[in-house]
Amino acid sequence: MQRILYLIQKEFRQILREKTFIGLIFGAPFIQIVILGFAITTDVNHVPLAIVDYDQSQMSTRLSDAFSVTESFEFEGNLNSEQEAVQALDHGRIKMAIIIPDNFERDLKMGIHPVIQAVVDGVDGNSAGVAMAYLNQISIKLQKEWMQETGGLSARMRQVHLTAIEPRMQYNASLESVNNIVPGILATMIMLITAFLTGMSIVREREIGTLEQLMVTPIRNYELILGKVLPLIVVAFLLLNVGILAAGLIFGLWMKGNIFTLYFMSLLFALSTLGLGIFASTVARTQQQAMFIAYFFMIFAILLSGFFIPIENMPPFIQGITYLNPLRYFIVVIREIYLKGTEMGLLWKEGLAMGVFGLATFILSSLRFQKRLE
Amino acid sequence: MNRILFSITKKEFWHIIRDYQTLIIIILMPILMLLLFGYAVTLEMRQIETILVDQSHTPQSRAFLDDITSTTFFKITDRDVPEKEFEHILQQRKARCIIVIPADFARSLETQPETNIQVLVDASDPNAANYIRNYLIQISARFNFKLNPQLKMPFSVEPRILYNPDLKSYFFFVPGLVAVIILLITSLLTSIAIVREKEVGTMEQILVSPVHPLQIVIGKMIPYTVIGLIDSILILIMGRFLFGVPVLGSPWLLLLSLIIYVLSGLSFGLLVSTITESQQVAMLTAMMITLLPTLMLSGFIFPLKSMPLIFQYLSNVVPATHFLTIIRGILLKGSSLMDILPEMGALTGITILLLAISIRKFNMTLE
Amino acid sequence: MVTVEVENLTRTFGKFTAVDQVSFSVQKGEIFGFLGANGAGKTTTIRMLCGLLMPSSGTASVAGFDVYTQPENIKKNIGYMSQRFSLYEDLTVRENIRFYGGVYGLSRPQISSKTDELLEFLKLQDQADALTASIPMGWKQRLALSTAMLHDPPIIFLDEPTSGVDPVSRKNFWLLIYRLAEQGKTIFVTTHFMDEAEYCNRVSIMRDGAIIELEKPQTLKTKYNVNTMQDVFMQVVEKKSL
Repeated sequence: MQRILYLIQKEFRQILREKTFIGLIFGAPFIQIVILGFAITTDVNHVPLAIVDYDQSQMSTRLSDAFSVTESFEFEGNLNSEQEAVQALDHGRIKMAIIIPDNFERDLKMGIHPVIQAVVDGVDGNSAGVAMAYLNQISIKLQKEWMQETGGLSARMRQVHLTAIEPRMQYNASLESVNNIVPGILATMIMLITAFLTGMSIVREREIGTLEQLMVTPIRNYELILGKVLPLIVVAFLLLNVGILAAGLIFGLWMKGNIFTLYFMSLLFALSTLGLGIFASTVARTQQQAMFIAYFFMIFAILLSGFFIPIENMPPFIQGITYLNPLRYFIVVIREIYLKGTEMGLLWKEGLAMGVFGLATFILSSLRFQKRLE
Repeated sequence: MNRILFSITKKEFWHIIRDYQTLIIIILMPILMLLLFGYAVTLEMRQIETILVDQSHTPQSRAFLDDITSTTFFKITDRDVPEKEFEHILQQRKARCIIVIPADFARSLETQPETNIQVLVDASDPNAANYIRNYLIQISARFNFKLNPQLKMPFSVEPRILYNPDLKSYFFFVPGLVAVIILLITSLLTSIAIVREKEVGTMEQILVSPVHPLQIVIGKMIPYTVIGLIDSILILIMGRFLFGVPVLGSPWLLLLSLIIYVLSGLSFGLLVSTITESQQVAMLTAMMITLLPTLMLSGFIFPLKSMPLIFQYLSNVVPATHFLTIIRGILLKGSSLMDILPEMGALTGITILLLAISIRKFNMTLE
Repeated sequence: MVTVEVENLTRTFGKFTAVDQVSFSVQKGEIFGFLGANGAGKTTTIRMLCGLLMPSSGTASVAGFDVYTQPENIKKNIGYMSQRFSLYEDLTVRENIRFYGGVYGLSRPQISSKTDELLEFLKLQDQADALTASIPMGWKQRLALSTAMLHDPPIIFLDEPTSGVDPVSRKNFWLLIYRLAEQGKTIFVTTHFMDEAEYCNRVSIMRDGAIIELEKPQTLKTKYNVNTMQDVFMQVVEKKSL
């Protein structure tokens, strides 16, 4: 036990000596939360839009107006021809062009059902899809207004019976991305510190030669690993709290649930990522490699966690893989605690999964981490 | 250039090739990332766990529910649970959403112009909540159309989708991956490789040798540049044959922009290596000043236009922002040099500036 | 009294045999030199004896403990210093000593008194709180040796301890080794400085993983009819490679 204390003391000395390091460790969460929280929205809005109005009538102007007032689109002005519009799309100045045909107003009044063309930049498929949905919403709303105004149509309108979806968004009524991003960042931050730094700090000792020296001392395997891991757990814990504070102070987003539940779950999660870091250190011979391996796993872990892309979006095979991803469980847990205030009792499945996973990786990689050279 | 540089470069190449583990990782990683982005990132959510509550029990309500169950979007886990349990169900995550057909559905549908269907959505995952809402709006629109065959709107909107008619996600991600991977290799790996020499002590050796230090640094960077280029070409080839992502524009223009972009990444790497002393710090710094902005502020995943203005301005400083416009333009739109001139100009400008700063800084740290 | 006993010790890496059926024994208080060109198998042998590497075959015991089954007991009885300095450069001199003291399981008062004793012994009192990176090479190396011996082990393994050190420091280092031997410690040292071989009680010369000669330096010089160990070494290596 005493030996572990000395190891821990040494780790802290080394961490504290590196000024940049401390700055990074504690500055990083603040910056991340500020930048990502403000910058990243998975919502699509301000889609740059131009209108080609061949008709130049009262009706077409009204249509243009409807598109230029909404938040969803950013009206970049009128263009003269379809050709110009395609050019603007080529240049990337706009993402969508609406082309109102000749005689639009006349056809509309005669009930000939004119067709408006929407030329869309499909490169970003997701945004394009969302933009088209906005377009439809706005045009339908506009058409309803028209139908009510023009008397001839109102008789027909009375026979129309529609269903409408009335969604009630629980726990995050306005669907703000921040509510998703912030807990997600906290989770990835824990992962970053534990997986990356563990791997790198072990490999570093190997590169410098001090690991060999430690190996000939009577330190036991588990003492060596605990001595490495415990300080990082403390660092990760401090960082988590910095993150929680930053999220609360900057975005006013405080967790609804119990902070100790979060602490406990974070510990279970950290166990598995620490295991990952130790594993990386047993495979890697240089810090570069360790970093790369850890980085690699991180990308996979984040993508397959449901953070940005719901798990249900993935093909069944990949969904199966996500069960091996500890972040998948932790994202759920942290969201639940932050937004829904869920109690420990309802999170036991995720907790158990992380615990088992964490213990397994931790034990396996510790076994792999032999106190012998190969 | 000269013999010295050539021999240094050769030495570095041997280093990398001998270190086959790293080599495997840097060749394999882009491939796996491509497969992952290509196959895992789909824009359709399926099998959403759903509870249907039919308080109406009429042919009309069943017709509506049939429209829901006939899609693959929803997986019905339970039906007709009492209203007081709704809250509890969502809290326990037994379902993502609860769709409630009101008791007066059939009657209202006949007499009222609009009948509401209430949907309770667990929005703790806002992305999923968005999908759910959009699907239900689609289903309700189709139902409305069947219900009111006479209904014809005054005009219709016909979409024409350019460049990526099927809205495939990999058309978006493949060019983006090229940008991220090049940056990863050029800035992150090189900075670590240089700092490593400092840490191990071989940098001192280099400083006393008659070779100009910059030559050694350049010699160190060339192999990583080549690997970065190979990786990008690999991604492009796989993107072409696996996912059908075309290269419509000129390959030479593509190569030119790749090279300029690679240079910007290298300058970053050099800069990071001059301001850090240990590999750990180098790695964290490189992540903070290159990788994160590239992932988040370049339009790689998140549309720039949706961000607050200040971040849109900030994004102009990130080389990847311009590079992404360029490479997406060349690949998917067949852009010519004239089309992408402003972006090319910006990218070149940033690169020259970065290169100048980092070389100056590097020379200063030597003294 | 025999403290290190080795019989037919062999270690292979794949097809390559690094150490080939080596046998020898070392007495208590002896300075045992291990000579050989680079890659002759010296470091591999030492690593096996320290419990860092598992032997492929053969037997070996250190301080009466078996290398296969009791490596942890061995580690309590040896000091080990490798060719790479194993000090933490970003810790101060004092912190390094305290750390290794703690790792070797010394009690707090023991560590304090040992630290003072060592600092005085090494004349490093003034630099005690300087970063280890900033002190001269020769001192670092003596500091490394001293930290490797904080737990007062009866056997000390030194793997090319003097490479990269100036002649004066090397001489000082060997004075230190002599003093340790006088205290009854067994010293097991590898080197490729032949003048250092003269200081050893007995030397063994390794080539291609095997021990070719194992004698007192004086006996070897007589046998080969030369004046220095340098010449002995050259002759041994050349004779065999013919």
